[in-house]
Amino acid sequence: MRILIVEDDPVLSRQLAGTLSRAGDAVDCAGDGEQGHFLGDTEPYDAVVLDLGLPRLDGITVLKRWRAAGRTMPVLILTARGSWAEKVRGIDAGADDYLAKPFQMEELLARLRALIRRAHGHATTELTCDGVTLDTRSGKVTVNGSPVDLSAHEYRVLGYLMHHKGQLVSRSELIEHIYAQDFDRDSNTIEVFVARLRRKLGVSVIRTVRGLGYRLEEPS
Amino acid sequence: MIALNSLRLRLLAGAVIWILLALAAAGTLLSALFRAHVERRLEAELTIQLEQIAAALERRGTGELILTHQLSDPRFRKPYSGFYWQVDGAEGPILRSRSLWDVSLRVPAEASADGGVHRHRIAGPDRKRLIALERTVTLPDAPGAYRVVAATDEAELTAAAAAFTRTLALSLGVLALALFGAVAIQVRVGLRPLHRLRAGVAAIRTGRIKRLEGRFPTETQPLVEDLNALLQRNEEIVARGRIQAGNLAHGLKTPLSILANEVDRLADDGAPRPAASMRGQIATMRQQIDYHLARARAAASLDVPGARVLVAPSVAAIQRTLARLYADRDLQFAIEIPADHVFHGEQQDLEEMLGNLMDNACKWARHQVAATSRRDNDRLTITIEDDGPGLPAEQQAFALAPGARFDENVPGTGLGLAIVRDLASLYSGSIALGSSRLGGLRAELTLPAG
Repeated sequence: MRILIVEDDPVLSRQLAGTLSRAGDAVDCAGDGEQGHFLGDTEPYDAVVLDLGLPRLDGITVLKRWRAAGRTMPVLILTARGSWAEKVRGIDAGADDYLAKPFQMEELLARLRALIRRAHGHATTELTCDGVTLDTRSGKVTVNGSPVDLSAHEYRVLGYLMHHKGQLVSRSELIEHIYAQDFDRDSNTIEVFVARLRRKLGVSVIRTVRGLGYRLEEPS
Repeated sequence: MIALNSLRLRLLAGAVIWILLALAAAGTLLSALFRAHVERRLEAELTIQLEQIAAALERRGTGELILTHQLSDPRFRKPYSGFYWQVDGAEGPILRSRSLWDVSLRVPAEASADGGVHRHRIAGPDRKRLIALERTVTLPDAPGAYRVVAATDEAELTAAAAAFTRTLALSLGVLALALFGAVAIQVRVGLRPLHRLRAGVAAIRTGRIKRLEGRFPTETQPLVEDLNALLQRNEEIVARGRIQAGNLAHGLKTPLSILANEVDRLADDGAPRPAASMRGQIATMRQQIDYHLARARAAASLDVPGARVLVAPSVAAIQRTLARLYADRDLQFAIEIPADHVFHGEQQDLEEMLGNLMDNACKWARHQVAATSRRDNDRLTITIEDDGPGLPAEQQAFALAPGARFDENVPGTGLGLAIVRDLASLYSGSIALGSSRLGGLRAELTLPAG
């Protein structure tokens, strides 16, 4: 999954990015409201972690502008201001969750996962497809009960396809959701990742739709 | 009762002293003037008698001295009447008034026999003091000069002066009382703005008003303006202090988050013991920050007297927020808040209390969270219930203590109820816990109604 972190404290931002990367996400960071707004407005993120007290443009305004422009990605507000009046304000501005600092990283991760799942209409923490199971909380992938070791990029490709099970996912969409913004993108690598995934999973759940992209579906 | 060190006492005492002094001086002066006037009148009368006697004196051929006609005033004939006359020759008294009876007047020897009228104080019958006028008269053919004396009792003068002084004293006494009354009224009216000022300051202290309002007299207006300026400055200092405290607390939260994350890494890197201890400390710091932030916020709200807010929209806002926060839980909200229920206080505080209680209910509820409100006179009771496991009676009191927490697996600092309790008590309200008919916990929040 590709996640945007809008946080002005560089140390916390680095910690968040590190944790999310280790959990298998592609992460972009913005240090102020304007940059954050621009990224969220132009890049397709699967979730956003948004601080409220930001330089240049405050978080509430950023969020309202995204929502007004039709950007519907799940947004988790992470802020030092934890009063209920502020929570109401944040939720009313269009946030999907609200976490007050100081927070526990595990709780943030759990909530982010829940937000992403909910955004795609999944009720459980485990996504499955023909014996392939992806636990969104632990980030573990198993095939018929046996664990499979995946690289970060392979995990992201599988995760994105699992969240969009049954839908056609284009190559460029995959690229946008598995790479951070400043990463050197190469569309050919997608084919490499898919090929490796097919080999590691050993089951044919990823179908290639010629000329259009991929689709994850149960074999009929 | 007037305190010893009071403006009114000073003004009244000052007025009493100057009124008494002024009236005493006026009384003395008037009395002396009157006495001098009466004395002059008496002397003028005596002078006339003296002139009449002098004019009536005649020396017969035999050398006998006679008065050609008696004085018209009958008092000169009544014995010891107080009005006397006498004519002295070289050897002593020759003629005297019948009123002198068997006494003769002893007039001191005159230094100059210049024919002018001289005044004496001499002893009369019964040793009474007399005012005596005397002149020397020379008759044709007479060998020597005669001294004619007319005298009257000083008691006449004293009695008239005393009667006048009595009347005067009475009048001045009445005047003094009237002046005291007038001064008392003047002081009362004059000090009235100070009473207004005091009532205003008292109202500010109890929080009913924020500033002294209305026009005051020119002398106290600068004081009023200075006081208002002082109040404003005070408010600014307090507000700045609160903002700084808030900024400090909020500023600590990000570093605390970073620290907590580093501690997590430490635990993963194989130092779980120090990590656990540090986690405990970080949790304590977080609780302290939350607790004092909530209190500072509440204290700031109390500075706004007369704030009123409808309950229903706030409950709806919290419900909306919680529905989003607990979107993956299948929660039903049953909200029954009459549209006209008003809380006498700040919206922020109401939402803080409702938020904590309703959040608690959501955390523990299986499916249902209910909010109702009831109004009794000036009290508003908002009840939040859930259908969760509830809380045993012995734990309900403990639940209101800061930091109390029963299930470490349900997220929250455990401060929620303590913050609600503190906020409620700042508004002289209260919170009570009990068992809900839904099966879970019932929290009853009692607050002042608007």
